[in-house]
Amino acid sequence: MKDNIIIRFEHVTKQYDNDPPVLNDVCFEIERGKFYTLLGPSGCGKTTILRLIAGFIGPSQGNIYFNGKIINHVPANKRQVNTVFQDYALFPHLNVFENVAFGLRIKKLKNAEITEKVKEALRFVNLKGYENREISEMSGGQRQRVAIVRAIVNEPEVLLLDEPLSALDLKLRTEMQYELRELQRRLGITFIFVTHDQEEALAMSDEIFVLNNGKIEQSGTPTDIYDEPINRFVANFIGESNIVSGKMIKDYVVEFAGKTFDCVDKGFNPNETVEIVIRPEDLEITPKDQGKLQVRIDSQLFRGVHYEIICYDQDGNEWLVHSTRKVKVGDEIGLHFDPEAIHVMRLGETEEEFDKRLENY
Amino acid sequence: MKKMSKLSAVYLIVVFFILYAPIFYLIFYSFNSGGTMYQFEGFTFDWYKELFKDSRLLIIVLNTIIIALLSAAISTIIGVAGALAIAYSRKRRVKNTLLSLNNVLIVSPDVIIGASFLILFTMIGIKLGLISVLLSHIAFCVPIVVIMVLPKIEEMSPTMMFAALDLGASRWDVLSKVVLPYITPGIFAGFFMALTYSLDDFAVTFFVTGNGFTTLSVEIYSLARRGVSLNINALSTILFIFTMILVIGYYYIAKRNRPNGMGDRR
Ligand SMILES: Nc1ncnc2c1ncn2[C@@H]1O[C@H](COP(=O)(O)OP(=O)(O)OP(=O)(O)O)[C@@H](O)[C@H]1O
Ligand SMILES: [Mg+2]
Repeated sequence: MKDNIIIRFEHVTKQYDNDPPVLNDVCFEIERGKFYTLLGPSGCGKTTILRLIAGFIGPSQGNIYFNGKIINHVPANKRQVNTVFQDYALFPHLNVFENVAFGLRIKKLKNAEITEKVKEALRFVNLKGYENREISEMSGGQRQRVAIVRAIVNEPEVLLLDEPLSALDLKLRTEMQYELRELQRRLGITFIFVTHDQEEALAMSDEIFVLNNGKIEQSGTPTDIYDEPINRFVANFIGESNIVSGKMIKDYVVEFAGKTFDCVDKGFNPNETVEIVIRPEDLEITPKDQGKLQVRIDSQLFRGVHYEIICYDQDGNEWLVHSTRKVKVGDEIGLHFDPEAIHVMRLGETEEEFDKRLENY
Repeated sequence: MKKMSKLSAVYLIVVFFILYAPIFYLIFYSFNSGGTMYQFEGFTFDWYKELFKDSRLLIIVLNTIIIALLSAAISTIIGVAGALAIAYSRKRRVKNTLLSLNNVLIVSPDVIIGASFLILFTMIGIKLGLISVLLSHIAFCVPIVVIMVLPKIEEMSPTMMFAALDLGASRWDVLSKVVLPYITPGIFAGFFMALTYSLDDFAVTFFVTGNGFTTLSVEIYSLARRGVSLNINALSTILFIFTMILVIGYYYIAKRNRPNGMGDRR
């Protein structure tokens, strides 16, 4: 086993009573010192994975390894893992100092040492001077930072964060994203971060796991997942996409919307039915006769940074275009795109098959 | 709108007057030197002096207070444990059943509770007296404590307990460092409620007391039956003032705990 693997899930299934499984045969590895994100829609099992790692629940089947040892039956209070909860779960009957000191007092550290560590940790997150505040006197962003220091002051090997930013407003949230990322770099410990916000995931992570219905659909770096989504779900969940069905004529040639185009994908069977993904920002508006595709503009919406334009080609496929230029609804225009902008997906392909195909490139 | 509030003010005054008038009437005549309750002749403390000279009565007062403190303390311990058990029982059915049983005890008439305890004690051979009174007081106080403490436990976010475990706390730590401090206001409320219920209980005590052991309310009843004496008025006044002090104390504690909704400020 590789040394730098800190957590490993081996065919983990979690099932409550006779309901369908919440997690279904999940396998993954977490490396030391990286920032991981679990991304997926509500109810897909993100919190369940964190709870399994923290030890609040145990798996129905399969094994969870921590530093190479099975920890299925190790209770939560004996694990080298700390959690930042979605609702922070601070202790309202204790002040900021005592909240942060909680874990250290349990460990029976000396008072002087506790004071030093707590002060140091509070300084780390810019909360110096707030020691004697009650929790009810702290703002949302401050509470969140208290929740984070309460966890990291115990020097865990892995920090679990369950949607810690979801309660904050947009500005504070962006600020905290930078702060968290920076914190992880300074501490050098593993972060496992849960969110259902794809932009947050793309911005913060070294590695993303995209979950759906208790299964990992795809894992990889943010660019991998954005540029090469494995299936329709991932393509739709991560950013906006145009997805149309087509046919792979041969290597590097694909047919869709009644035309053939050059592309950079290969390794498919001749004439195999496939799905094509083109990101809206990769489509460029041109005069009608200069575009690779001819479409009619159906509607236009101003989004601030760009216009969101919806067009239809003669086959009735919908095309979403992001453009900084304003257009006229009802006009016929051309759309241009590079061969690299086309991403071809095989129907029903699993992540392993996808990886194998990529290796054969 | 204004008229409405005036009307409701008048209504409230009338209701409170009717409720409190007999008590103040009684207190008023406890200072009557005339010895009757219809002709006020002059102001005197004689009835109180007589009361404090009566050592038998002082012992009864002491009994009453001891019974109240003991039964409130013991029933608070039992009640908190019971409330925790009800709140954390896994099965919904078990939980609802326990809760219903608890509530039935609260609403069932004191007379029935008293009579059934009398039967129970004579059957298993417990001598009527301090022990029997104490046991029965504990029995009717426990459900009250449960009712006062339970909402506080249920309002607690379950992730708070996970958080404590996550920080390395054992089950005992979770209970002593998180759950109990959090529900302290509920525990105090339960204790005071139990104290007042025990102090002024008549019906249950009347059944299970015996062998010369009585409490204040039973004593007042027997004095009243023997004939009118303003002793009773004086005694009732003291009891009333004592209860008022308890109530004020209870509000004081409750209010001090309210600002952040929790007890145990450091
Ligand atoms: N104790 C439980 N008993 C039965 N089902 C449960 C239990 N806890 C969670 N579930 C189910 O497990 C599924 C996954 O829950 P989980 O909390 O992991 O979702 P999530 O991905 O964190 O969603 P969200 O983004 O809304 O927080 C849900 O369908 C939920 O109903
Ligand atoms: Mg969740």
